[in-house]
Amino acid sequence: MRRYERPVFSLLYRMVRDRALAEDLAQETFIKVLNGITSYRAEYKFSSWIFKVANNTAIDYLRKRTVDTLSLDGAPDATTPEARARTALQLGDPGETPLEEVEARELGGAIETAIGRLRPEYRACILLRHVEGYAYEDIASMLDLPLGTVKTYIHRARNELRGYLEDRRA
Amino acid sequence: MSDIDRHLTAEEIELWAEGLLPAAGAIHLAQCATCLATAERERQFFLKLARLERLAPSDEFTEKVMEGVRIRAGTESRGR
Repeated sequence: MRRYERPVFSLLYRMVRDRALAEDLAQETFIKVLNGITSYRAEYKFSSWIFKVANNTAIDYLRKRTVDTLSLDGAPDATTPEARARTALQLGDPGETPLEEVEARELGGAIETAIGRLRPEYRACILLRHVEGYAYEDIASMLDLPLGTVKTYIHRARNELRGYLEDRRA
Repeated sequence: MSDIDRHLTAEEIELWAEGLLPAAGAIHLAQCATCLATAERERQFFLKLARLERLAPSDEFTEKVMEGVRIRAGTESRGR
């Protein structure tokens, strides 16, 4: 299990960009894997199975959060400018906690920020390909996506990352 | 114009950075300073991604996972 702790935690942290939450999701991933070890099929790579569970756990959370959270532009039912301002999420809150400072340092580099701007599906693909070094076919199997879709997502993700990094340099 | 003479597309540059570019493209790259500069930028970009740090969870992580496994195993055996 130790062998997969860092890779799985890193993937989840970069997917949700919140250290405590990523740790909860990583715990959930390993508990699911260890409790379901009897259903593991040896024809698949063990690492692929763990990443599949981790990615599904992150995507489930992100889908739920999309429904539950307020928009950056304010709550959907806010009809006046005042209501929108009152209910909008505030970025750059000066009261940053020590944990938030750690997160800002860990994920604060230009490339990390750029990754954070990608759609979650693109993010998972690009991290599994470039950070974990998986083949396109393995990623397709982990994420239950057609091979062509994985290639397209990775190509688009690279374009978006390049664009973001170039904008910063300009 | 043969394959060796034409400039590489963005997709071919990506393939080169992944070590998957067919020979004709690689020959062009060896002779073309423009494509070589683009390819080098792409290689640096891939390196930046590959060098992203693998971050560690907290020291109590394994313990918490094993606790979770024991609790669930206990709950399941009681349920039988």
